[in-house]
Amino acid sequence: MLKISPDELKLVAQYIHDISGIYLDQSKSYLFETRLGSIASEHNCATYKELYQKARSEPGKIIERQIIDAISTNETLFFRDKSPFELLQHKLLPELIDARTPLSPALKTNLKIWSAASSTGQELYSIAIIIKEMLRDIDKYTIKLVGTDISDRAVAQASRGKYNKFEMERGLPGDKLQRYFTMFGDSWTIKDEIRAMVQFKKLNLMLPFAGLGKFDIIFCRNVAIYFTLADRQKLFNKIADSLADDGYLIIGSTESLTGICPRFIPKRHLRSIFYQKNP
Amino acid sequence: MREMTILVVDDDPVIRKMLEKRLEKEGYEVLVAEDGYQARKLLAQQRIDVVLTDLMMPGSIGGLEVLDIAKKISSNIEVIIITAHSSIDTAVEAMKKGAVDYLEKPINFDELFLRLAKITNLQAIIRNAQDLSQAMMTTESAAALTIQDLEIRNAEFQGQLNNIAAILRNEQMSADDRIDKLLALLAGSAR
Repeated sequence: MLKISPDELKLVAQYIHDISGIYLDQSKSYLFETRLGSIASEHNCATYKELYQKARSEPGKIIERQIIDAISTNETLFFRDKSPFELLQHKLLPELIDARTPLSPALKTNLKIWSAASSTGQELYSIAIIIKEMLRDIDKYTIKLVGTDISDRAVAQASRGKYNKFEMERGLPGDKLQRYFTMFGDSWTIKDEIRAMVQFKKLNLMLPFAGLGKFDIIFCRNVAIYFTLADRQKLFNKIADSLADDGYLIIGSTESLTGICPRFIPKRHLRSIFYQKNP
Repeated sequence: MREMTILVVDDDPVIRKMLEKRLEKEGYEVLVAEDGYQARKLLAQQRIDVVLTDLMMPGSIGGLEVLDIAKKISSNIEVIIITAHSSIDTAVEAMKKGAVDYLEKPINFDELFLRLAKITNLQAIIRNAQDLSQAMMTTESAAALTIQDLEIRNAEFQGQLNNIAAILRNEQMSADDRIDKLLALLAGSAR
């Protein structure tokens, strides 16, 4: 494996932060080497500095995308940590539907939900499955489920909705697996009725959220942990701008917004916490 | 580490016996079935790690059906297909349906043992990954409870501080009244 020098470490860490917002600990040089070494050799770079220069100057940004794919973590599960999904099903969605349902039965109820770091899509598909099971009269709603991630590879896999047995086994109850997936060999593919409910696109959370509009519920779980404090503050401030005044924010179960964004106040429901904007 | 249990399914008694002997000699636990029906029964009763099955067998349960049955019971059961050279296309079909590998007759035992060793390694890695993710989730849920408590208490303290600031700034009240009100507020929250 190609070794990284201290100077290169600094340079590459800064570059990764610039393109993705992800802050990598410079004391963990093996992390850079294991994740970027094969990209360097693929592009015939003898040093990481050379890789950095090539990545920056290349107009097609292919190397930049490869680097982002390599350094972003795609650990995710269907219904990872059950409590936010129970919260969604038993509290947030019922409250929201009450608040959003128009008086005239001729009008549809609008709901917009965003999975801000959707990785390979399991979180958003889990949300879609809950909505599908909850709303029997689903045609009375206009539901927009958006997933975004910085990694092209993750967005592509999420859009395909195809998972191997290890990705499936964990977290997904057997009945949901049978009902919403088609099995072929060792892989499962999400059925079209669920896939049609969601859309995935690439988004760097460090850049402006142009054109996304306002959401009723935002899931932003386990992504800010890769950012510096200053970047977290910026991120949650922008998220507050993108959330409806009575909307809900859900962050990772071990994350906290204390000292990060005073615009949100935490609220407890059973074993979960969700956030709403400070009125 | 626990040795793997291998189910050998073949209608040819000579091949069955030979596989059983050689695999046992290598230290594997071996079960044998002379057709698909017996295999189905054993798969339902016992914990099996690897199925080594002939592709063509008499009756309506052939190798492909044994593969389906095993994968339905658990996707962790690995299936190796044994096939004559003439039916390699079917063996490839079986791999598309989830078989891990195929072996051509006559069986080369070195090759077989090599594949089994790879499966053993793979299963150890999978086991390790599952243990790690279990450990991560346990740690995560314990940490989550602590953090949630702190988050809520912090918000309550913040609210309290806002109340205190409002009282202190209230110029309609005398200094003494403000102190009394603050003390009452603090006494209330100390409960």
